[in-house]
Amino acid sequence: MRLVMKDSFVAMGVAILLFFIVIATFATVLAPYGPYEVMMTEAGRLDRLARPSFEHPLGTTAYGNDVLSQFIHGSRVALIVGLVAAVAVGFVSTVFGVVAGYFGGLVDDVLMRITDVALSIPTLPFAIVAVSLLGPSVQNIILVISILFWRNGARIIRSAVLTERERIYVKWARAAGASHFHVILHHILPNIVRVIFLWITMSVAFAILAEASLSFLGLGDPTVISWGQMLNTAFSSGSLRTAWWWVVPPCIALTLLVSSLYLIGRGFEEQTNPRLRRY
Amino acid sequence: MGALAKLNERLRAKPAAHMLVERLSIAYQTPRGPFRAVDDVSFEVAAGATLGLVGESGCGKSTVVKSLMGLLPEGTSVSGRALLNGTDILGLSERALSDVRWTKIALITQSAMNSLDPVYCIGDQITESILAHERVSKAVAWARAEQMFEIVGLPGSRLTEFPHQFSGGMRQRAVIAMALSLNAGLLLADEPTTALDPIMQDQIMSRIRSIHADMRRSMILVTHDIAVVAETCETIAVMYAGEVVEAGPTAQVLQNPRHPYTMGLQNAFPKLPVRGQSRMPLISIPGTVPNLLHPPVGCRFAGRCPFATDLCRSEAPAKLSNSISQSAACHYQDRASEFRAIAQKASTWRHKDG
Amino acid sequence: MDKTPPSPTVIEARDLKTHFQARSSLIGALAGRQPRAIRALDGVDLAIRRNEIYGLVGESGSGKSTLGMSLVRMYEPTGGEVHYNGENITHVHGKALKDYRRAAQIIFQDPYSSLNPRLTIGQIIEEPLKIHRIGDAAERQRRVEKALELVRIPAEENLHRYPSDLSGGQRQRVAIARALVLEPQFIVADEPVSMLDVSIQASVLEILDDLSRDLGLAVLYISHDIATVGYICSHVAVMYLGQIVEEGTAEDILTAPQHPYTQRLMAAIPSIVPDENRERVELKGDVPSPLDIPPGCRFSSRCPYATELCTTVEPQLVPTAEAHRVRCHLYDAEAVATHPSLEPPTSQAA
Ligand SMILES: Nc1ncnc2c1ncn2[C@@H]1O[C@H](COP(=O)(O)OP(=O)(O)OP(=O)(O)O)[C@@H](O)[C@H]1O
Ligand SMILES: Nc1ncnc2c1ncn2[C@@H]1O[C@H](COP(=O)(O)OP(=O)(O)OP(=O)(O)O)[C@@H](O)[C@H]1O
Ligand code: SF4
Ligand code: SF4
Ligand SMILES: [Mg+2]
Ligand SMILES: [Mg+2]
Repeated sequence: MRLVMKDSFVAMGVAILLFFIVIATFATVLAPYGPYEVMMTEAGRLDRLARPSFEHPLGTTAYGNDVLSQFIHGSRVALIVGLVAAVAVGFVSTVFGVVAGYFGGLVDDVLMRITDVALSIPTLPFAIVAVSLLGPSVQNIILVISILFWRNGARIIRSAVLTERERIYVKWARAAGASHFHVILHHILPNIVRVIFLWITMSVAFAILAEASLSFLGLGDPTVISWGQMLNTAFSSGSLRTAWWWVVPPCIALTLLVSSLYLIGRGFEEQTNPRLRRY
Repeated sequence: MGALAKLNERLRAKPAAHMLVERLSIAYQTPRGPFRAVDDVSFEVAAGATLGLVGESGCGKSTVVKSLMGLLPEGTSVSGRALLNGTDILGLSERALSDVRWTKIALITQSAMNSLDPVYCIGDQITESILAHERVSKAVAWARAEQMFEIVGLPGSRLTEFPHQFSGGMRQRAVIAMALSLNAGLLLADEPTTALDPIMQDQIMSRIRSIHADMRRSMILVTHDIAVVAETCETIAVMYAGEVVEAGPTAQVLQNPRHPYTMGLQNAFPKLPVRGQSRMPLISIPGTVPNLLHPPVGCRFAGRCPFATDLCRSEAPAKLSNSISQSAACHYQDRASEFRAIAQKASTWRHKDG
Repeated sequence: MDKTPPSPTVIEARDLKTHFQARSSLIGALAGRQPRAIRALDGVDLAIRRNEIYGLVGESGSGKSTLGMSLVRMYEPTGGEVHYNGENITHVHGKALKDYRRAAQIIFQDPYSSLNPRLTIGQIIEEPLKIHRIGDAAERQRRVEKALELVRIPAEENLHRYPSDLSGGQRQRVAIARALVLEPQFIVADEPVSMLDVSIQASVLEILDDLSRDLGLAVLYISHDIATVGYICSHVAVMYLGQIVEEGTAEDILTAPQHPYTQRLMAAIPSIVPDENRERVELKGDVPSPLDIPPGCRFSSRCPYATELCTTVEPQLVPTAEAHRVRCHLYDAEAVATHPSLEPPTSQAA
């Protein structure tokens, strides 16, 4: 971690990510109201589309919900979907990529044909159809995202393994009597972690964006608030153009979170690339 | 046919080039500061003569060649002069260079694969370079390419094939054919045979030698194989860490080296056994080449030289100018014969690491 | 020379064959198409004794590396046998194979990619000990230091450095140390110095030479550089298209070669003292592909002495003198007797 901090871009990325993690973890404490708690004006009417004020720093929605509270609770979905999907995607693509790349031959042929088939699935239409069929829930969204993103990762990791496999120290370790497991663990994986890590940070970003898009299209989990859903409600209520306080926060948050992941991924790549390493 | 004969006539009439390099210094720009790959190098190649440029890997041989072809990366600082038949070719614009490259100076590179384009057939690549500089029809250019292929021992019918269909040795010969196609006055050959097996190396070197003899082109041959230079070149320049440390007629330099590095190089060079004679041990030169980001103040060889004194470590010996007779950049040239006797003993080179 | 009794044979190949399949596509394999065989190694006999460095030279692509890899069982031979200390290990598996891998090691050409850049020198040399579960941490440390000492790399300053901090010569010596740490009896050195600068080659060759003498190692030294073979090898074999075409003491092969290919190979080597009348036999054509081996003598398509017999009957490796064998009809008394047109070429230095 100390190493990672040296790079100011990475530090920025980590800071942004930590910020959102804190918000998500303490959402119930930080949020002034419940996400769907209905606000009333003193006159006893629904407090619709109120501009930012002291009680409602980010104003209210068309249905009288506090935007700040929705925003804070929404970060949870983004992070959960992002992390869980990324771990699933990272795991599946690493297994596929390493097995195909390392063993080669028929195993590779078969696994790569499966990947090719998976790759030919069109992303958004598949996601929309699958989520509508399975039913809109956070679990199903994660499942669909994992199904969609492992395939590119498997290819990227496989090609990294293909180069590593040809390294002379790999051949040498085999000649010295090392098992395949030992070779993969000691020589292949350590040299491709940066590819895997880069891929995982990318897939966190993809997953967050995918969840937001699905929710925006109205396919989000109706029981949990998310940033995509906030945008969706703003859009369907027709206030997308007028209520900037409602629309801007989730947009900025999505952009910041996704860029923080890219920054971290890039920085990690540089830190661990032995050719760029500084002494 | 008439057109081809005329083209051949025109090309044959080109004179061999005279190349005079004076005080050439080249520094690559790196993130950690200027890397002085070549430092104050001077040499001369008389018209029709052959110069061998030898030295340790990384001593700047290819850098010198690239500077003459105008192939250094942008931002590299170059000083000094390189007079080709009296005109300076350093720092020419890309346009001016296109009149020099291939027509006046041709290059045979270290890796043939890099100088051939995999998507065009070899015949097209050779004719294209002819057509770029000579106003002849495509058929005439192709006929010329066929002649070049025969000179390097490849059947003209294989001009229609692609680089990947050739073996390593054949590709190298195709590159030579391309370099010869405009009969440039100066041929630069940068390790033309390094990656090949001995028989292929020998066949290509004898091709280059016979071409040189028949057409009297001037040539600079870069190699780390001093035996190849001994067989091919009239003069030799030995480089070490960016400098020419010894130069002169090949036979003289190799028989009576005056610079301790040349002596060490000779000991380290494996020779074939002679029947019934016990052999000299192989002796390596201990230590490593100095880092040219921070070149040492004194003689650059001092860290590895068995004869180094305090004078060597504090003051650099005078650089070589381009004289025709044998000369060396060493403070103790006058003691060369004494050094040679000591340098032959393995124990002389053992005092530092193994 | 000296008449000490010969030391025992460590490794022996008997009619060893390793063929590769030209890679077939999945569709081809499903359609049951038979891939063509690349006969990279095609019937090699060879024996290396204790304390001996055996040189292997030959045309690029002639199967030298394939032989080395087959001897250490990195390739599973297609036919023939490999014997280690008299025991047939050609097809052993499991524990027996692991034991053999401990005894037979290989060093590769490229000192820049033969060491894992993420491990320290100490970890790199310790790895084989861990693979074979030898000793505890202290014992392993002791062995690592001993191996480094053998290749003359000071242990304390280098144990914690990374490969990128070492020069090419030092890396190649670390690769040798890694091979030595298991105390092997047999090492294949596949072009160990060809990527090193001439000024430092000698130090690596010298270490190989000392080790074979002091530790009783049997070494197979593969190289294009025939002059270096002359420095450290006692015996030499010359390969052409998957077979040994000539074999004998280093002095015989290097100074009085008999097979037309070897003669050509020796004539190809330039020398520092140029020999004006060095005669060369120009070889026609290129090396045939191991996918399409010519009938009869494999060298017949390029041999200047080839006769009709050569293009039909395959010559055998026959002894021409003590410890000197040649695969050529010209030296086969029987063939010469029945085919008077054959006339042996005079060997150049004899
Ligand atoms: N583009 C570049 N930027 C920075 N340094 C460079 C560049 N090209 C070469 N060098 C450095 O300049 C030095 C001289 O390189 P050069 O290629 O001229 O060596 P050489 O004598 O041809 O070596 P070799 O025998 O290995 O081909 C080397 O230390 C090399 O690392
Ligand atoms: N794994 C493999 N699969 C298919 N063909 C192979 C394989 N390894 C080697 N070959 C082929 O076998 C032949 C012998 O190759 P090998 O590497 O043993 O030659 P070599 O004598 O070591 O050559 P060099 O001197 O160039 O290293 C070549 O034609 C090569 O293309
Ligand atoms: S100047 Fe000194 S250090 Fe340099 S080569 Fe001559 S004797 Fe050696
Ligand atoms: S058997 Fe015939 S073709 Fe083969 S090497 Fe001998 S003479 Fe040449
Ligand atoms: Mg070079
Ligand atoms: Mg090989």
